[in-house]
Amino acid sequence: MIAHILNLGRRGCDVLEALGRSGLFLAQSAVGVPSREGWYLWLRQMHFVGVLSIAIVLVSGLFIGMVLALQGYTILVDFGAEQALGQMVALSLLRELSPVVAALLFAGRAGSALTAEIGLMKATEQLTSMEMIGVDPLRRVVAPRLWAGFVALPLLTIGFSVIGIYGGYLVGVEWLGVFEGSYWGGMQSSVAFIGDVGNGMIKSMVFALVVTWIAVFQGYDLVPTAEGISRATTRTVVYSSLAVLGLDFVLTAVMFGGFS
Amino acid sequence: MKRSKTMELGVGLFMLAGILGLLFLGLRVSGLTFDMPGDTFRLEANFANIGSLKPRARVTMSGVTVGRVTAIELDRDWYDARVILELDAELEGKLARDTTAAILTAGLLGEQYIGLTVGGDPEMLVNGDTIRDTQSALVLEELIQQFVSNMVSD
Amino acid sequence: MIESPLVEVKGLHFSRGEKTIFNGVELQIPRGRITAIMGPSGTGKTTLLKLIGGQLTPDVGRVLIDGHDVHELSRKALFTLRRRMGMLFQSGALFSDLSVFENVAFPLRVHTELPEAMIRDLVLMKLQAVGLRGARELMPAELSGGMARRVALARAIALDPDLVLYDEPFVGQDPISKGVLVQLIKTLNDALGLTSVVVSHDIPEALSIADYVYVIADGQVMAQGTPASLDVDEDRRVSQFVHGEPDGPVPFHYPAPEFFRDILDLEGRP
Repeated sequence: MIAHILNLGRRGCDVLEALGRSGLFLAQSAVGVPSREGWYLWLRQMHFVGVLSIAIVLVSGLFIGMVLALQGYTILVDFGAEQALGQMVALSLLRELSPVVAALLFAGRAGSALTAEIGLMKATEQLTSMEMIGVDPLRRVVAPRLWAGFVALPLLTIGFSVIGIYGGYLVGVEWLGVFEGSYWGGMQSSVAFIGDVGNGMIKSMVFALVVTWIAVFQGYDLVPTAEGISRATTRTVVYSSLAVLGLDFVLTAVMFGGFS
Repeated sequence: MKRSKTMELGVGLFMLAGILGLLFLGLRVSGLTFDMPGDTFRLEANFANIGSLKPRARVTMSGVTVGRVTAIELDRDWYDARVILELDAELEGKLARDTTAAILTAGLLGEQYIGLTVGGDPEMLVNGDTIRDTQSALVLEELIQQFVSNMVSD
Repeated sequence: MIESPLVEVKGLHFSRGEKTIFNGVELQIPRGRITAIMGPSGTGKTTLLKLIGGQLTPDVGRVLIDGHDVHELSRKALFTLRRRMGMLFQSGALFSDLSVFENVAFPLRVHTELPEAMIRDLVLMKLQAVGLRGARELMPAELSGGMARRVALARAIALDPDLVLYDEPFVGQDPISKGVLVQLIKTLNDALGLTSVVVSHDIPEALSIADYVYVIADGQVMAQGTPASLDVDEDRRVSQFVHGEPDGPVPFHYPAPEFFRDILDLEGRP
């Protein structure tokens, strides 16, 4: 019995210790002006993390937009309010679905790739040899990936929203017969740029920070074996997903819950 | 350091697409407009009940958008709602003094906007004037109450 | 005249978690020679190299390189010192996103401001020394294990260091590759006047080129001397290790109950 409590306590201390390590890690990696070479490293990571995630984000966005319109129509039509489809699709996407789903997809695709890549570099002693040559691996390997994640995910979220709204248009207007004017007009009068688009972007930026941070930290901190890498990639996806969903609730309550 | 032109191009396009997407969201989706400051003139109108009228709501005449609601405040002298309108400068001095402003609803559950109807007064409204003749928003509950009390009295 | 050693390790104590890895280790690495550090697996030989290289800090004790205490140096001074050291890792540790050429050029770009043309010449010379000049545009994933290690060696000597540390260079190599590496280590050491420290448990290869040997076991230096003297050392632990005897002070059998009783399942019965 006592042993269980002690074990729990030890686990708790481990968690705190890991949090502390990851905080220091973030501080050391993210600070510092990138050099000219650092600029190119960032660009490269933007490609791997951002450009290569475009496909999954856009396809998912399209389908989610279309499903939203389809489901939304069937519900709204009972109230005779199907002309409000535009604002329903837009608000759902901009406020909630785009930031959250894009972040979850990003964590699964780019986050796990980041963890695996950095973990493999650790396991093959590339990070150590970099240090021995006199280069700080945090600056050269981790920082470009962190900054690429910070920038790429918000951009991907924008893409998700745009294509989702378009998908909703395809289903709602082209297929189900909602008036084109109502779709866009209702949207335009209900969607506030600062309130809805802006808050959605803020959410996305917060998620970008958390997901990328978790991904690179898990890669950097893992046990350098094959099993260690596989466990770390799993942790990245799981922790990122939980963090995104939890933070989403908090942010939604603050932004849209009407509490000041 | 090998520089891949295609990669740089790809990332550049990605970022450009993001910025364009943001523009799209701003203009097409949330209806941001660029109001040029010199091209509007200001009118005020007081309403007993503004319903769900919001700032940035449209102001129309015969269904054509001619301006926007810029602010809604509580009038401390008359204890009703004072709505500030910005209208196209072209209409300055063209609207009669007895022009009516009514709060209308687009569709059954749509957004509320202000519809102007011209009057016949020879005197015109200028910048800063107040529209005297106003019609408040129809509040559903009051309508129902009216309807019910009418039915009862029959 | 006896030259002062390039590297001195004094009174080194180091633990990781609850495990004591080093319990009072004293080493002197002579200049211009090949020194082998040997011992059974798991005795922390890679850790020792990391302690020498300044990546890990000892709990007690000092590491002196050319008279400088490695762990007392400022960041800038450590950076300058690292320029004089090269390290070859067990897995080669080439940067997987750079070509062979770029890997070898990496230390040059980090530590010097040399123009591209000079960097190109230097890289080609180093690759020539390890016999891989023709492979310069390949990516690390396209190299065999032995080739990768040779490239890593070229990278380790890119800045013409004074000290090169080799971490288990012969592990898992086919006989030809092993022969190549042994040859390279010896030739480079003599030709460039390097001081080499080879950590290994491959006895014949290491002893064939070493000028001096340290055997580390149980966290301390168990034996030291020239290869010839170790061969005839009377300490049973040393001779078991050096001659690769399967049984001796390091026992063959993992501790277990008596065989007869165990197989007849008599344990637990009177």
